[in-house]
Amino acid sequence: MTENIIIDIKDASKSYGDRAAVRGLSLSVAKGEFFGFLGPNGAGKTTTIRMLTGILSPDAGSITVAGKLVSDKLHRAGKIGVLSESKGLYEWMTGKEFLSFFAGLYGIAEADEAAEKLLAEVGLKDRADSLVGSYSRGMKQRLKLARALVNEPDILFLDEPTLGLDPQGQDSIQKLLKRLNEKGVTVFYSSHLLHEVSRLCTRMAVIDKGVLVAEGTLDDLRRRTHKDDLRDIFLSLTGPDAEPE
Amino acid sequence: MNKLIWKKDITAEIYTWKSALWLLLTAIIYSVTCYLLLTNKELSLLDQTEMLWLLAKIIIGASLLVAIIDASSILTVEFEQETMEDLLISPLSVKDLIIGKFLTVMTVWALMYAVAVPYVLVSSAGSGLGPAFLAYIALYGTLMVGGFTLFVLGLSFLYRSFKNTLTTSLVFYLAVGIPALFSATLKANPFGSIISVANPLDAVFSSLDNILVDYHTALTANATYLASVAGFVVVAVVFLAVSVKVFDRHGIVKE
Ligand SMILES: Nc1ncnc2c1ncn2[C@@H]1O[C@H](COP(=O)(O)OP(=O)(O)OP(=O)(O)O)[C@@H](O)[C@H]1O
Ligand SMILES: [Mg+2]
Repeated sequence: MTENIIIDIKDASKSYGDRAAVRGLSLSVAKGEFFGFLGPNGAGKTTTIRMLTGILSPDAGSITVAGKLVSDKLHRAGKIGVLSESKGLYEWMTGKEFLSFFAGLYGIAEADEAAEKLLAEVGLKDRADSLVGSYSRGMKQRLKLARALVNEPDILFLDEPTLGLDPQGQDSIQKLLKRLNEKGVTVFYSSHLLHEVSRLCTRMAVIDKGVLVAEGTLDDLRRRTHKDDLRDIFLSLTGPDAEPE
Repeated sequence: MNKLIWKKDITAEIYTWKSALWLLLTAIIYSVTCYLLLTNKELSLLDQTEMLWLLAKIIIGASLLVAIIDASSILTVEFEQETMEDLLISPLSVKDLIIGKFLTVMTVWALMYAVAVPYVLVSSAGSGLGPAFLAYIALYGTLMVGGFTLFVLGLSFLYRSFKNTLTTSLVFYLAVGIPALFSATLKANPFGSIISVANPLDAVFSSLDNILVDYHTALTANATYLASVAGFVVVAVVFLAVSVKVFDRHGIVKE
C-alpha cells in the first residue's frame, strides 16, 4: 500500500492561539480510496482539511499530498478539488458565470461549456442562468460541489458536502461521487454522519477533540466498540461517553 | 489570471451600481464647483488661475476619496463573503489577486478622470493651461490613487474587514488632507514645513499651485513635489508587501 499512498499526514498538530484543534494526527489514504473522515462538531475536521489543502500550515508534523509537501504550495499543480467549509459564493453571478469564472482560474479553455456540463451533472441545469443569490441552501451546496469538480481533480477533499441537502440531493450527490471514485478519483470525505460515511467509504478515520480515536473499515469499528448500531458506534467513540482506547 | 479578477470585479462594480453612483457623484461635485466659481459674486472675483487651482484640488480630493472607499471593499469583500479560501486554493496567486484588484480601482479612477476632462477644458479655456492641467491631473491622480489603493489593499490583508479598513483609511486620508489645506500656514514654521514636504497631498497641491497659478508647467520645475509623491508610492508598496507577508504567515483563518 505504501506505494500507492496519495495523502499522508504525519504527526500533524495545529493550534489556534492556545487552543489545540488537531493533535499529533497521523493518517494515510491510498490512491483510489473513498476515505471517510468522521468526527463531532469541533473535532478538527475542517482544520485538517485546511492543512491538506494548504490553507493552514501545521504547527508541527508534515503533510504530503500526491507526493508533494503541502507547505511547498506546489501540490496545487497536482489536481485537487476542494469543497470547503467557507460559504464561498458570488451571489450576484449566475450559476453558470460562477463556474466559468473558476474554470478560467484553473486555466480551462472552454470555460462556458465546462460550466454547463458541471451544472447538468449536479442537477442545476434549469437554474444555470439564475443568480446564485436566489439559490436555495441545497442548490448552493450543489454549486459548491460543481466548483470543486471544475478542474477534473484526481483527489477530492469534501468538507461535509451534503450539509443542507434533502435525501434526494444527498443521494444524487453520493451517486455522483461514487461514479467519480469508480473512475479513479480519490475522495476524502468529512462528515459527522456515520451512516452516510459507512455507505460510501471503504475505510474511515474517527477524530475527536483533535485526536484520532479509531481507523479502519466499518467492521473494524464494530469490533472495537462491540456495538452494532451506527449511532451507538459513533457515540461510544466520540463525545463525553467515549471509551478510551 | 489577474485579468479574470479584474473582469469579475468590474462586472461587480457595474452590477451593484457602485461605480455608476460614484461617477454621478463626482460629476455633481464638479458641476456645483464650476457653477459656484462662475456665478458666485465673491468666488467669481478669483483669478481664472486661482479658480483652476481650486478645481484641481477638488478633482484630486474627490477622486481619492472615491478610490479609497472603493478599494476598502474590493478585497475585504472576498474575506467577508468567504470566497477567499476557494480563490487561494485555485492556481491564482496572491500577486495576481492584488494586481486584478488594483487595476479595478485604477479603472474606476480612469473613469472619474474622464468625467473631469470637460470641466477642466471649459474652465481653462483661454488660459492656455488646459493641456498642462489635464496632464498633471492624470499624473498626480494616478500616482496618488495608486499609492492610496496599495495602502488600502495592505490594510485589507491585515483587517479582513471592510469597516475597519475603511475607518483606518479615512483617518489616514483626513490626516493627510487637512494639513494639505492649511499648507501656507504650516510653512510659516520650520516643523510645519517638514510636515508639508513629507505630506504627498500637500506636495500635489503645491505643485498644482506652481503649475496653474505661477505657470511653471515644466516637469523639472516640479521635480521636488514629484519626488515627494513618488516616495509615498514606494512607502505604500513596502507597506503592502509587509502586509502580505503577515497574511501569508497567519493564513486566511483568523484566530
Ligand atoms: N478560526 C478559528 N479560531 C479559533 N479557533 C478555531 C478556529 N477555527 C476552529 N477553531 C477551533 O478548532 C477546533 C476544531 O475546529 P474545526 O472547525 O476544525 O472542527 P470541525 O470538526 O470542522 O467541526 P464542525 O463539524 O462543527 O465543522 C474547535 O475547537 C474550534 O473551536
Ligand atoms: Mg467543519
